Amino acid sequence: MNALFQPFQSAELSATVTVVEQALVVRMTGTADLRVTDTVEKLLTTVHQQATADHVGEVKVDLRGLEFMNSSCFKSFVTWISQVQELAESAQYRIMFFSNPAILWQRRSLNALSCFAAHLITIDSTSN
Amino acid sequence: MPFNRRRGSLRKDDDLGFCELSFQRRPELVSIVRRFVSDFYDRTLADPDASSRVALATHELLENAVKYARDGQAKVRIEVSVQGRSAHIRIRTHNRAAPEDAEYIRRTISEMRLSSDPNLYYLDVIRRNARRTEGSGLGLARIHAEAEMDVSVKCGAKGAVTVIAETDVQLSEAAVTARGVA
Repeated sequence: MNALFQPFQSAELSATVTVVEQALVVRMTGTADLRVTDTVEKLLTTVHQQATADHVGEVKVDLRGLEFMNSSCFKSFVTWISQVQELAESAQYRIMFFSNPAILWQRRSLNALSCFAAHLITIDSTSN
Repeated sequence: MPFNRRRGSLRKDDDLGFCELSFQRRPELVSIVRRFVSDFYDRTLADPDASSRVALATHELLENAVKYARDGQAKVRIEVSVQGRSAHIRIRTHNRAAPEDAEYIRRTISEMRLSSDPNLYYLDVIRRNARRTEGSGLGLARIHAEAEMDVSVKCGAKGAVTVIAETDVQLSEAAVTARGVA
């Protein structure tokens, strides 16, 4: 497992980007709010750059430990996904979100992302 | 309650079912407030989905109120009026905003209220704001769609802005039993 992004750790949020068996894995736990908007944006920019450079087929995003995400951080995901949409079709990669069914905002917010880019996004809310 | 008297105050009245907090610019308090009101909603509504929706709305409204308060002061008031087996929840945030910010909120909410489908409107706002660099532009639409709440605004003198999000929720059996309502 290689860390691509200097792991971010604050009182509210911890975030990592790693390569696991040739797949990019983003993991966020805690709370993503106004204080970490820039960090989330940088993290997703790094992920996109790495995913396009390595021609990965899929990025996994594990939000199962994310208690809350505000609209500014949510918008960073929207921007990231729109960047993937703008790639040539052959260069686009899929994004799989792992969500926690017990954290109820995740279902609604990830459903909104899925409506925004249905062809790119898969949501797995079964594994824990 | 664990709030510094110089920074904030807290009032709670279980009989009337409301709580009100006011504090100066401290973004870290927003998440603390969200957790506090989540507990408040959990105990009042005994409905995890409703609690989650209104907690999300509270966070978004309060974060905006704090972020755009010209004097750094924001206030949130949460009212829960129970009638039989349903409850009306009203969240009000109040601040003093710059004229352009007050106008943006007024215009956004006006546009949102003209839309017949909150989810389609939300998706449209997501598309429009995907490459926006200043602010998300999503918070109010998120409240309307994800939290399923009506949103309105009152703009007063000297930049006073009160944003109101409200909804009716059916009380769960557990909540009805706890309140002793027939």
